[in-house]
Amino acid sequence: MEAAAASLAKAGYGIERLAAGRGYRGKLSGTDHVEVAFLSASEIAQNLKDGKVDLGITGEDLLRETMAPDDPSAEVVTRLGFGAANVVVAVPECWLDVAAMADLDEVAESFYERHGRRLRVATKYRNLTRRFFAEKGVTGYRIVESLGATEGAPAAGIAETIVDITTTGATLAANHLKILDDGIILRSTAVLACRAGVRNDSRTRQLSDALKLTRLDNSGHDRVE
Amino acid sequence: MPGRSRAEREALERQNGAIMALFEGAGFDHIAPDIIQPADIFLERSGEDIRARTFVFTDPAGAEMCLRPDLTVPACRYHLSHVEPPSRESRYCYCGSAFRHEASSPQEFTQAGLEWFAASDAVAAEARILKLTIGALEAAGLTKFHVTLGDLGLFSALLEDTAMPARWRRRLQHHFWRPAAFRDLLENFSAKREVRRTSISGLIDRIDETNGLAVVEAELASRNLALAGGRDATEIAARLAEKAADRREQPLAGGKAERLNAYLAIATEAASAEAALARIEGGKRFAGARDYFARRIFEMEELGLNPRRFQFAAAFGRELEYYTGFTFQIEAGTPLGRIAVAGGGRYDNLLSDMGAPMKVPAVGCAIHTDRLRAVLS
Repeated sequence: MEAAAASLAKAGYGIERLAAGRGYRGKLSGTDHVEVAFLSASEIAQNLKDGKVDLGITGEDLLRETMAPDDPSAEVVTRLGFGAANVVVAVPECWLDVAAMADLDEVAESFYERHGRRLRVATKYRNLTRRFFAEKGVTGYRIVESLGATEGAPAAGIAETIVDITTTGATLAANHLKILDDGIILRSTAVLACRAGVRNDSRTRQLSDALKLTRLDNSGHDRVE
Repeated sequence: MPGRSRAEREALERQNGAIMALFEGAGFDHIAPDIIQPADIFLERSGEDIRARTFVFTDPAGAEMCLRPDLTVPACRYHLSHVEPPSRESRYCYCGSAFRHEASSPQEFTQAGLEWFAASDAVAAEARILKLTIGALEAAGLTKFHVTLGDLGLFSALLEDTAMPARWRRRLQHHFWRPAAFRDLLENFSAKREVRRTSISGLIDRIDETNGLAVVEAELASRNLALAGGRDATEIAARLAEKAADRREQPLAGGKAERLNAYLAIATEAASAEAALARIEGGKRFAGARDYFARRIFEMEELGLNPRRFQFAAAFGRELEYYTGFTFQIEAGTPLGRIAVAGGGRYDNLLSDMGAPMKVPAVGCAIHTDRLRAVLS
């Protein structure tokens, strides 16, 4: 939220909160007729998809999770220069024999033979996980819904493996989990996304062009650091 | 369009009435398996890909239930709870709703089918199930259709006859269901591909025939790792030792990979498939499977079917992990192309997977009656 506001500010748009909206509504200064709704991260993609909002700043991970790959109802307009994180497949570090998704497939098979139940994958990314595992030919597993602290699921005995989002991998390492060699499902950043109907609206283009410029600034800044 | 009109409902009931009359007349017991099923049986057997298409919900007592995505598993559950011992020969037919979450086709459809458990003459039962399926489609009014036959037993037999380390055979059998992965694996074993180093290659470098467990335990200790995720050091060491052994193994030679590929490439009219199979140089088991195939063709002819009108494809059935031997699919010819309206085959592992104390041979079929109705109208 702060990063999105900062990015918009850099692009020349302030956000004014409207008192009447109890803090959940506002408007964009610097342009006419753009209303702002403050939604929780998990709701933005669904609202775009349902056509309830026209534009959204949200994580690409949440957008891809909510939308089927061929769903035309919303799309990414511009990738923004913040919120970079990867959605990854991670397994216990003690699985010294597992490097790749192909290993996970074999382990899943023998797990079923030994325990009579499926290998469990804890995640909040049900759809991304299903698509990626299917693409990699891994079928013998089960998803366990995990809405928070997913990295703790293997230690808690809720699941054997996880699919989660990570920026530096430090949290995974602290929980003795390792990312598979070919286990990067998505390299996500914050994006400006729009519902299909407003792709060619002049306000969409204006906002997107202005945000693109801030993205160049950001990446330059990153290099110096 | 939501719902069926009176005319549509009556047409479907008339069609399915004709199908079920044929099935009942053939001596199959008409049962009504439950629509609501415990989810575990479907989900633990099939994995996440089926779960994505199954309507799963929690009942008020907290148990995970589902709307049946097909009727075979419910018919098996019926059998296991009604017949003791489950190895007693039983023949069932049914017609009822099944539910699948799919983007392109209806989420609720009516499936008619047969299940024949513990038939005393396995090969005759297979031919009979095919005969009844075709008869049912014809009774419904279908005249133009294509029959494709497959036989997973032939491939398993050929693989058993092909000399290679048991672990390679096991992996090839496992990947049989995924053609792309199978091809990669076979190329790996034939040393036609450069082996890529991975993040565990360094560890494998240190493993020989005997030190696997010691290396794993030392590595875990030095990195201060506790075991997690339901796997022990022995299992981890065994897989590493297999990977190390793979490096020392002689690649598949003598045309073995080519022979497996040549078999999988067979696609011919079913009555002349025997000649094509005879050109594959297998061993004793493959010869036995060929003989079984020939007897099935003979049984089909005995029942008045004409296998010259059927297609045999060695790779057919690779998408259906369910089946263990004979498989078939029937497609209706329509102006828009072929549409699958029925399928079936042998699935000898299902009842024991579901708790039968012994293997119970099983063969069955399912007809997608709404699709059939759509084709006919």
